[in-house]
Order: sequence, then C-alpha cells, then structure tokens
Amino acid sequence: MKRNILIIGLLVLAATFAQAQVQRGDVLIKNGTVLTITNGTLENTDVLVRNGKITRIAKGIRTPNGVQEIDATGKFVMPGIIDAHSHIAGSAINEGTSQVTAEVSMEDVVNPLDLSIYRALAGGVTSIHLMHGSANVIGGQNETMKLRYGSSNPDDLRFEGAPRTIKFALGENPTRGGRARGIQPQSRMGVEAMLRNSFSDAIEYREKWAAYNANKSTRKVAPEYDLRMETLVDIMAGEVLVHCHSYRADEIYMLMKVFADFGIPRLTFQHANEAYKVAPELAEFGAMASVFADWWAYKLEVYYSTAYNAAILTKNGVTTSINSDSGELIRHLFHEAAKTQKYGDLTDNEALALVTLNPAKQLGIDDRVGSLEVRKDGDIAIFDKHPLSTYAIPLMTFVDGVKYFDRATDKKDQRIFINPESSIADVQIYDAESQHRCMEGANVLSFSDLFKKK
Amino acid sequence: MKLLRKTIFRLILILPLSFAVLSLSAQSDPTGKSAATRTYAITNASIVQSPGNVMEGGTIVIKNGLISAVGKNVAVPDDAEVLDGTGMYVYPGFIDGMSNIAAKRPDAMPRPNNLFTPDPPNDYAGITPENHVVDQIDIGSSSIDGMRKAGFTISHTVPYGRMLPGSGALVLLADRTHADEMMLAEDVSMFTQFTGAPGAYPGNVLGIMAKWRNLYRNAVNNKQHTEMYAQDPSGLERPTQDRVTQAFFPVVARTKTVFYNTTTSLTAQRALRLQKELGFNLAVANLKEAWDLADAFKAGGAQLYMSMDIPDEPKDSKDEDKSEEVKALEVRRMEWYKKYLTQYAELQAAGVKFGFSTMGTRGNKVKTNIMTMIEHGLSADDALAALTTNPASMLGIDKVAGTLDAGKIGNMVVSTGPYFEKKSQVKYVFVDGDKYEYEVKEAKKKGDDTETDATPAAAGGNDPAVGTWAYSLETPQGSQGGDMVITKENGLYKGVLTSDDGSPDTDMNNLSFRDGTLAFDFDIDAGGQSVQVVVTGTIDGNSYEATATASVGGQSFEMTWIATKSDGQ
Repeated sequence: MKRNILIIGLLVLAATFAQAQVQRGDVLIKNGTVLTITNGTLENTDVLVRNGKITRIAKGIRTPNGVQEIDATGKFVMPGIIDAHSHIAGSAINEGTSQVTAEVSMEDVVNPLDLSIYRALAGGVTSIHLMHGSANVIGGQNETMKLRYGSSNPDDLRFEGAPRTIKFALGENPTRGGRARGIQPQSRMGVEAMLRNSFSDAIEYREKWAAYNANKSTRKVAPEYDLRMETLVDIMAGEVLVHCHSYRADEIYMLMKVFADFGIPRLTFQHANEAYKVAPELAEFGAMASVFADWWAYKLEVYYSTAYNAAILTKNGVTTSINSDSGELIRHLFHEAAKTQKYGDLTDNEALALVTLNPAKQLGIDDRVGSLEVRKDGDIAIFDKHPLSTYAIPLMTFVDGVKYFDRATDKKDQRIFINPESSIADVQIYDAESQHRCMEGANVLSFSDLFKKK
Repeated sequence: MKLLRKTIFRLILILPLSFAVLSLSAQSDPTGKSAATRTYAITNASIVQSPGNVMEGGTIVIKNGLISAVGKNVAVPDDAEVLDGTGMYVYPGFIDGMSNIAAKRPDAMPRPNNLFTPDPPNDYAGITPENHVVDQIDIGSSSIDGMRKAGFTISHTVPYGRMLPGSGALVLLADRTHADEMMLAEDVSMFTQFTGAPGAYPGNVLGIMAKWRNLYRNAVNNKQHTEMYAQDPSGLERPTQDRVTQAFFPVVARTKTVFYNTTTSLTAQRALRLQKELGFNLAVANLKEAWDLADAFKAGGAQLYMSMDIPDEPKDSKDEDKSEEVKALEVRRMEWYKKYLTQYAELQAAGVKFGFSTMGTRGNKVKTNIMTMIEHGLSADDALAALTTNPASMLGIDKVAGTLDAGKIGNMVVSTGPYFEKKSQVKYVFVDGDKYEYEVKEAKKKGDDTETDATPAAAGGNDPAVGTWAYSLETPQGSQGGDMVITKENGLYKGVLTSDDGSPDTDMNNLSFRDGTLAFDFDIDAGGQSVQVVVTGTIDGNSYEATATASVGGQSFEMTWIATKSDGQ
C-alpha cells in the first residue's frame, strides 16, 4: 500500500514538472518606494524575488549570487495591476446562440499571440480576467490569466490554481437577443425566471447523479451527462465564482435575492453603474463590485451613474475594483484608479487597491497576488513617479519575477506572430493614407509635431 | 406473398448489377475507351521502391490491378502493354492524408425555424457523425483527375459540412462507374472541425469544444449501458438509439481515429487539448503552422498531416522612399514567410513523422509547393515519405500501398525525370492497376520569342489588372460568362462587367488591386432582392483566379470565378 502511495506521489510530481514550463525568475529591486497595499508605503526598500516568489522585503538586502539587480532609487514599486474585466487575448468572446451556455469556457479560446497582451504589460498589468461576453443570461466560464507574453502555448498564460469563474448578464444585452428572436428573456422578469429555472433544473440534475452514485448495484445506468448542468451544480457548490454583467440597482438587488434563495455565496457585479444605490445591501450580502471610473450613458440602462460610484461602494465596505473592459483603457488603469481621489477623496492605498488587491479578491487569487508581501508571487510594476500621479509612466513589469516589459529596451515591433500574407499598411498604427487625407491642403502643424523636441 | 414480392424485387435490382460487373471484362465497350489490356510493364526505368531505395534499369509489372513483379530480371508477360521507361522515374502512388477529393458539397440547408435553442436540429448544427462520405462522392468530380495528375492515387476523403460532417473513407482515385468501386476502405475515420452553425448552437469554437466533451462523455456512458443491455436486458432501462452517440462508440473504443481539420497552431492546440482530456485517437490534419508544435507531436499522442497549401510570397513595396518602419516590417514579414516554408524540414529534423493534406490546395500547385519545401530544407526522400510511406502506415494501409512491392495495389507515378526536380513532368499515373496518361509539354527554349508573357501586360501600361478579361463564373445553375473591363484613371481603378447572356452591364464596385490581389464587388438583382457578390482572387500573368461569395439571408455561397486577359493589342 505504502509503495503505491509513493508511486502515485512520484507520478503527481512528474506531472507537475511536465506542466511547469512557465518561467520563474529571480530579481532584486533595490531602494525603491514600495507601495505594498497591505503594509503601507516603505521608503528606500528592497524587494527580493526568488524563483518567482517574493522572499524578502527589507532595507539593504545583499544581492544573492546570480540574481539580477534593478536600481529603483527614486522610483515606485507596486504590485502588478489586475484587470477584473477584459476581452483581450481571446479567439472568440461570445457563444451567443443560446441563452444559457454555462458549459463553454474561455480557457478553450485563449489567444497568447494577441499583441494587446504586451500593451497591457506596458501599463503595469500582470493579470487579467478574460471574460465571456454578455449576450446570454448565463454565459460561459471565464479564464484568469497571467500575462506571460512571448509563448504561443495558451497553457503558459493560465493563472494556475485560480478558482473557476463564470459570466452572467442581466438587463438589455440578454433581453435584446430574446426580443430579436422571440424567445425568453424579453424583459428583466424573464431574466430572473430563466436564472431560477436553470438552478432548479440543476438541483434536479444533482439529485439524479447523487442517486446514481449512491446506488450500489453493478447494473446501474448513468443518467444523461450534461456539461451545462454540471457547471451550474458547481456554481451552487461555490466552486465557480459568478461575475455578473449588470447596471441597474433593481437588477443587482434581484440577483442577490436569487443567490440567497439558492444558497450561492460568492458574487461580483461587473459594471454595476448603479451599485452605489444598493451599497449597504451589497456589503451585507458580501457581494463585490467591479466598475468603471467615470464612464456611463452609452445606452439607456446606463443613463444614470456617478463618478463617485467606486468611492461610495468602498466607504460602505464593498470590495470594489476598477476594470477596463477595453484593450486601450487597460493600459492606464492606474489613471482610472486615481480618478477616485478627485471623485471621492479615497486614500492612496484605497485607490491603488481598486486595481490590485480588490480585483485579486474578486478573482479569488488574493493569496497569490494583489499586494507586495513575502510568499506572494513576484508580479510587480515599477513606475517613475507615484502611479496615482497624472505624470506617472510605467517603466518595468514583472510576472513571477520575469521581466516582460522594460520601457528602456522596448522594441517597436512586439508581435510574436506575423501572417506572411498580411499587408504592411494594416500593421501600422497610423494608416498613412487617412493621416494625409483628413488634413489635405490645410497647412497646419500635426498633433505630433507640437510635441516634438526642437 | 409479400416476402416473395420482396425477393423478386431484390433479384430485379441485383440482375443488372451482375451484368454490369461482367461487362467490365466480357462485353465490348461501345465508347471505345476501355483499355485493350490491364497488364502493363514499364521497362528500363529508375524505380524508387520506397524513399531512398532506387533500382536503376528496373522493370515493374502490373497485372489484375496489382503490382505483380518488380526487379531487374523480370519477365514481361505476353499480354502486357510495354512502356519504355528509359530515363523515367517510377514512384509509389501518392497518398493524401485528408482531403475533399471526389466529394461534392451538399446543397445549402434551409434555415429551420427552431434555431434558438441549446439543441437545434442536428442537420443544421452540423452534427451528423453517422453520415458517410461515400454518399457525397461524385464519380465525375474534376478533383479526381486534378489530383491524380499531380501523382495522388489514394485519398483519405472526408465529407463537407460543419462540426461533425461524418466519417471519411480511403478512396482510389480511379475512373469508375460507381462510387463504391472507388472505395479502398469505408468509414475509416471520424471527421471534425471548428466550423460553427450560422446563428445556431454551437456557433463557434467555444460551443464546439463544450459540445465535443458533452457528446463524448455521454457516448462513454451510453456505450457501457448498451453493452450491459446486450449481455442481459432483464430489468434494465432500454438504452436510447441515438445515431450521433453511436457514431462515437468506435472512437471511445479507440478503433477509429478522429481527424481534426485545424489549420492554425492555436486550433491544433485546442484539438490536442480535447484529446488529452478525453483520450481518443487523434490526427491533426490540414495544419499550416506547426513550428512550435514539434514536441507535442513527438510525444506521439497524435498523427500529423501538414497542409500542402503554403502562403504566397510577400511582395515588398517597390517605393524607393519607403520609411524605415515599412522596411523593418517587411523584413519581419519575410522572416515569417520563411518560417512557414522551413517548418517541414524542421519537423523532419525533430523526428516528427508527418503526411500531407491537400485540402484547400489545387492539383497544379502540389508540385510547385513541394519544390518550395525542398528548396527550404526538406529532403526529397523525406518529401516522398510524407507522400507515401508515412500516410500509408498512419492510415493502416502499408500492407497494400505506400511502396512499390509485388503484391501491393497497382498505384504508381511515372515522371519524365526525378519527380523532385523542377523540370520533370508526370507522364503516367496508375491507379488500381489502370493507366492514366498525361501530355508532356515541351520545355520552352530560351530565345524563343513567339510567345512571351511580357507583351499582353504591356498593353495595360504595365498594370497587370488593366485590360479586358474574359471571365466565367461557375454557379450552381451552370456557367456564365462575359468580359470584365478594367481601366485606371488618376490612380483609381474602374471596371465594368458585361454579360454573354444579354443582361445589362454591371459596375464593379470597390475595385482594388494590391500585392497581386484583385478584389471587387457587384450587385445583382435576385427576384427583387439586391444581393452583393464579393470577388477576391489573385492575378498571375494573364490569368485571374478568384472566389465569388454571395450572401443571402445570413448564408454565404462560394463560387469559382476565373478570367483570362483577352486583349493583346
């Protein structure tokens, strides 16, 4: 018996080695202003990363042999930024052909070749939550990723050990599809009914399989296997964290009631532009919110919001994050966090937590990332100024102690995949044609000329 | 009485069939096309029996559809048609690892009403693994001779369709009167691809991955249930007789290989991911990007059939004032182009055994593309192995095909010189013991100025697109044609389409010509509804080959558009 256990142990070990192709680095970041998030700001402090993990945070650490040293004198060292709502690096986003698609998963469509990953790294981002779209009431499962840019193997970018999460959607997006096709849901009432029906079906499914598993007969027949129901059962067991696309206070409150009825504990509202109206209720439920800093009125259900949303939620004790939902906004989430200081007077620590520790909590990875602490992962961003300053520029970004972005050695062309049949014009950010055309004949300085050093 | 009627009816059906079989050998052929003998001997040829194994001055005899003898001192049978093989090279017939050769695309399906459910009709969703490609075989398909001319004699042909179109078959590329006579083996694989149903579940790769898992895991349970029931049904629920699920049984039992049509590295990795999770036998086929997957295939988990379709060589801008940025981008694009071409040699060097898939490749491109691979490091022996011995062993037909050995099927390629040299041409192809002869074109002599490519191009002021072209469009209702007249004014292309059937002229909209690609669209009136047709293709000298796509009600139809420049003033 003991030998078997040993063999199994060895096999498990071998399997871990086989999978562990991910690079883990060693680095000593010296003499920076360290924004730990969980332990205040430490001046003139060193951070040592060994084999991908933070092993020491102290003053005057001696550089171990073979460890790369980075001088951060006068610079700011913070935990890598985490985007709790992103759609970059995915080959497909929506399986929008059906209203409940809990069985599909973004882990199947990770696209490690997407250049947006590098752009995000250049904004100090180290982890993203690649989300399914919002076309259906119960959408697909999401994928929590580390931005280890450079590999063409999707597995290398998975946040190993991160809990599973899934996308839900309320309001106009799923009902628009329903009305266009003449099927449920056509209203917010239909959305709620669909959720309750789905979970009721899942309970029935769970019971069928429980009875099958309890059956001691050798001649038992397995019930039909349904990956959709399997996922819903896992949600009810708390194994899959729900992230729900939502805007209005009434629908946010509705979902909390549904989840309370079915005993589902962990819930984060995405967008949640009216979440501030039900902030105490969210806090009481233990639900979290991931919002935009100051973006709304792009459709009717988002007509009403406030830039104080994040601050009000934070002051009411709701774990809140600020997300990008965009391949452009993701590059300056630190600016987005800073807006809560103008709108709501959040402290530096509260503002930075919106893009670090809080999204980590919402994704269930706060034991690994989100703050600079010994034993956490070496996911670190270095800025030239305080990251909440308008003038701050990200200088370096590390994931697991490996440097994936360095402004000093930034190449012009960072693509890791090129289609040989693509046209050069499509690659260039500024299409030469249109640039010349729009101001044709008008003899004025171009925008970039204004900022050229003479 | 009923039974008798049935029996007689069956006899009536069978009778003409047996005459048909007899007629092959006994009756005279009114068309005069049948061969005088089915015994052939090629003498004094260089016989490449298998990669790296060449016999000089050898004789090979084909009799009754089989290779009956190979050797230096082989007696030529009396009834043989003797072909002088002096200077010629004989190779085993090529084997296509996965293609649609001889298959016919089924008609587009009407959109059903009950689409918006998690479980739309299987036909529309493209989930029909119980179908067989033999039902799609068109004995008159031009693809048969098109690929045979390039040297292919056996094709693992898979059906057209969406996610799970059906099973593939090993098809002998011979001219036969019935599809069944072309079958070397039926139902040899389960064909699948990441092709979603338009507007219905599974709509894309997300749904397809999930649906695959669901179908497979249910099949595992259902198979167990079915076997238990077969042993002793007493007191057991009746297992459902679901054809889709049952089609998975041999896959679950690992007696049938799943052929996944994956062109990109990412889609191949998704297929490998499914295999790793579920444990079926997998062949990744039609792959165009494998440079970083050598390790995955070396592990031996899956068969590999590389695409024979290689990218077109990028054309750098001739603009002398081009910026440094453009130059740098062009350099990197060229590096990546080379990566596509050198990967075949690299796979071989890494010890990955692979075959080829001609899916999406035209017959006349086969040799050109192989020669490009050879120029980029693939050895001729390895190329031959990928065309013969590798697919034969992977497809489990190495006892009957893949090499030139006595007793194997009479499949071979005879070329005017070594096949893997640019100048050689295919003279004969033997399939299933039958001879197909091809015209060998005389090589153009240098200085022969009766016909040069430069003259017609000059007519359009050196612009390859400008001029009058005669086009033909292959529609499901037949072929239609006319002229496309392209002019250039102030740097802008303009064009008009005339029609041979007397219809009024049509403007060519959004006409563009860039890097050899000519694209335009035009509108046609289809019963009061305006339908846009988009045409995109490449100009090569005086010929233009393109695909015309018409979209109607969310469905797209593809047609072939071919044009030849007709003005040479």
